[in-house]
Amino acid sequence: MLRYALRRALWAVPSLVATSLILFFVTSLAPGSGGAAASQGASPSAGRGFGDNPRIEEARRERFLDLPRFLNVDPQDVRSRARAALADIASGGARGAAAVEALARLGGAAFPYVLPLLETLPPDVRGRVAVALEPVASRAGVGSPERLSRPEEAILFWTRFWENRSLDFTRGAVGRGVERLVEHGSDARERDIAVLDTFALPEIVGAMSATDDPGALERLTRLAQRSTGRGAALAPGASAAQWRRAVADWREWWFVHATTFVPLDGAERAVAFVTETRFGKWIERARSGELGVSVVDGESVALKLRQRAPVTLLVCALAMLVSWAVAVPVGALGAWRQGRDFDVATSVVLFVLYTTPTFAAAELLHRWVGGSEVGGVKLALAVAALSAGSLATLSRWQRSAMLEVVRQDFVRTAHAKGLSPWRVVVVHALRNALLPMVTLAGLHLPTLLGGAFVVEEVFGLPGIGLETLRAIDAHDSAWLIAVVLAAAVAITLGLVASDVACGALDPRVREVLADRRGTRA
Amino acid sequence: MHDAGEPSVAIDLSRRKGRLVANRAVRDSFIEARRAAAPYVSSLRIALVRLGADRLARAGALVLACMALVAVVADVLASDLPLACRWHGVVYVLPNITRPAALAETDIVRMRREEVAGDWVIEPLVARGPAQRGEPGEALLPPLSSGHPMGTDSLGRDVFARVVHGTRAALGVGLGAAAVLVAVGVGLGAIAGFMGGVVDALVARAVEALIAIPTLILVLVVGALVPNPTATTLLLTIALTRWTDLARLVRAEVISSLGSDYVTAARALGAPPRRILLRHVLPNAIGPAIVGAAFAVAWVALLEATVDFLRVGSVDPAASWGAIMGDARAHSAAWWLVAFPGAALLAALVAANLVGEAARDALDPRLRGAPAISTGRASWARPAGRS
Repeated sequence: MLRYALRRALWAVPSLVATSLILFFVTSLAPGSGGAAASQGASPSAGRGFGDNPRIEEARRERFLDLPRFLNVDPQDVRSRARAALADIASGGARGAAAVEALARLGGAAFPYVLPLLETLPPDVRGRVAVALEPVASRAGVGSPERLSRPEEAILFWTRFWENRSLDFTRGAVGRGVERLVEHGSDARERDIAVLDTFALPEIVGAMSATDDPGALERLTRLAQRSTGRGAALAPGASAAQWRRAVADWREWWFVHATTFVPLDGAERAVAFVTETRFGKWIERARSGELGVSVVDGESVALKLRQRAPVTLLVCALAMLVSWAVAVPVGALGAWRQGRDFDVATSVVLFVLYTTPTFAAAELLHRWVGGSEVGGVKLALAVAALSAGSLATLSRWQRSAMLEVVRQDFVRTAHAKGLSPWRVVVVHALRNALLPMVTLAGLHLPTLLGGAFVVEEVFGLPGIGLETLRAIDAHDSAWLIAVVLAAAVAITLGLVASDVACGALDPRVREVLADRRGTRA
Repeated sequence: MHDAGEPSVAIDLSRRKGRLVANRAVRDSFIEARRAAAPYVSSLRIALVRLGADRLARAGALVLACMALVAVVADVLASDLPLACRWHGVVYVLPNITRPAALAETDIVRMRREEVAGDWVIEPLVARGPAQRGEPGEALLPPLSSGHPMGTDSLGRDVFARVVHGTRAALGVGLGAAAVLVAVGVGLGAIAGFMGGVVDALVARAVEALIAIPTLILVLVVGALVPNPTATTLLLTIALTRWTDLARLVRAEVISSLGSDYVTAARALGAPPRRILLRHVLPNAIGPAIVGAAFAVAWVALLEATVDFLRVGSVDPAASWGAIMGDARAHSAAWWLVAFPGAALLAALVAANLVGEAARDALDPRLRGAPAISTGRASWARPAGRS
């Protein structure tokens, strides 16, 4: 049984991936993140590499528009970027000038891929590369600007720098250095790490999220700011909330820019084929729960979802409870008394309920009772409106499932044994007729959830639905996508649960999934 | 001459690879046999006869047909331009449909006011367009006011004109989405069931992925994210995500008929896969497709009304039943804003559901009384086989 449940849960994983693919496709329709920015950013004449407008380039980068959609055949990391910059500097011209800036931005992280190669470059290129690294030296606090702007001296300086310091440019050494800085914190240690420039960024950003000591955070953000030239400096007396925001900002930046400063090796490189894509980044964001920030009030979407979900879930759960409680006996009795007055009357009523749109039922109830401000009354009305439609569907299903069962031989046998009709209906027939209903409960979830949105809007219940309709008016894409994603996950879980329940109740269902391979006759 | 009670068919040995060598004697013997044997009646024919005998289904079909007619002639029933007119010396015929540029700036109300000698106007039933706003003081008139048989809404728009033109939105989106949905569902279901293996697994994943997305929410979100949403956006969103139920049904049907004797016989005769699929397997899947289409029309019309109801105020003033009812929420005394479009919507839904249920009962009497679309089959994995 456990194996069956696990197996069914595993089968939900590819479905969820496919769902996210579909939603990702919908997302790319969103204005601002898709078409508009892309058409502004990449003018075909600018060619590959460094665009003419750095701000648009940066905006594209933040939305991962520089990455391919689904498969990255050639993921860019610091090594490939450094090599491209060297090649461009060698070729000279406008691209060479842009590459000089790019190399300065890469900074210390590119040293292991640039400095050892200095010897192998032609003399004039060697000089240009060495001079290009001058801004790095000044922000790292080594060398003197006058010397480093003269090619020969710059070459000499960087060659000797690498001879002396190459041992510091290892991950282990940096890790230990940053750890000591966080624990003891001294200006000398900070200077030591500043020399490494951007090479130390992975450890610095990692240490930021691990500590909440203001002194350490101050040093870490100062280092990060120094090597990248971005972010705001916080005064030492800043509040905890300010620090959290600053750290979140750095983590967000690192999430976007990590590949500029980190090499992809071995397994990382293989994984990057998939993860270094727009889809991969989108999934990673959604998975880590950072669903973005609502444009309406600047609140975190994940937080708002958590606040509002209980109302929606309560409405759904109550409606489900009510409709099952009514549907099962009504449907079963209708089938048992097929063609009699009770069956005909309930069939007509159920058909009317079944065709009445949820929003019409809700609106009628709303008008009939009048606008009540009491939460309990509103909730009761919303549940009544929502369950009207679903109880009609469910009891019609229950009736037809029961009709199939009561004709079977074991029911006749039960009668023949002389059991009371009551016992035959409840114990023998209904138990079997309930099985398809369990499956149906899962399949009914999407309708129920959609209906919950409608009744929330009509009765003004502060749930996800009400917020979503406000978000639609405001074109708040972060919220909208998060809602569809959350709904999809919830429904998938519901489907898995209903299938597992079905398997627990009926061994035949377990067999079906067990020999999925043998499906074809 | 053959004995009429025992028809025999000459087996032509020259028939190879589906090619029949026309042989006069053989053809005659076929015709003979067909005359002699009981007339061949397809199961679809039986179902259609059963469907025709169902009074409720006939009533439903009649209602739907009337609505379709109303949708087609909506411009004749209610329009801001006349059926025919002579305006400043020029005669226009059916300007309400052709929309000549010369009359773009005018409407019947203005024509009446600025009439010159020799001009005449033949009005449609109601001289108002669906989006045409009324004069000041015309807002929220009750039904049977002069010129407004169903009253007006808060902007002075004529409710009759909006209900009549709303028929277009409801039936147009309903029928269009149903057509696309049936095509996609039958196509993918048949291919998945027939080819099996990887294709089947892929379609199964797509179905499971799409089932998890609530359509109403998706439609609302797509409407908000797409730059200029139109009725086509709605139609395609629904059609391209809700083919799943039909695909499941068709697939189950295909698999069960693949195991049947007549398919084995066709294989043994050397029929190519394409022929088996198109001639022997797919005709059995037509039934679920018809039923699915009938239910889909009702369901899509309902969804369209719901979306317009919820989004009223944030979209353009296209006439639709849901939008009129959405307008009514701010004016609770104006019962006519709910009653007329509500009645139209309910009539359409009841009619389409009656036709769908009758069609399903006619094709498979065992299912009598069960609601729309999906069956109780536990999962995609294996259809409850009839094989």
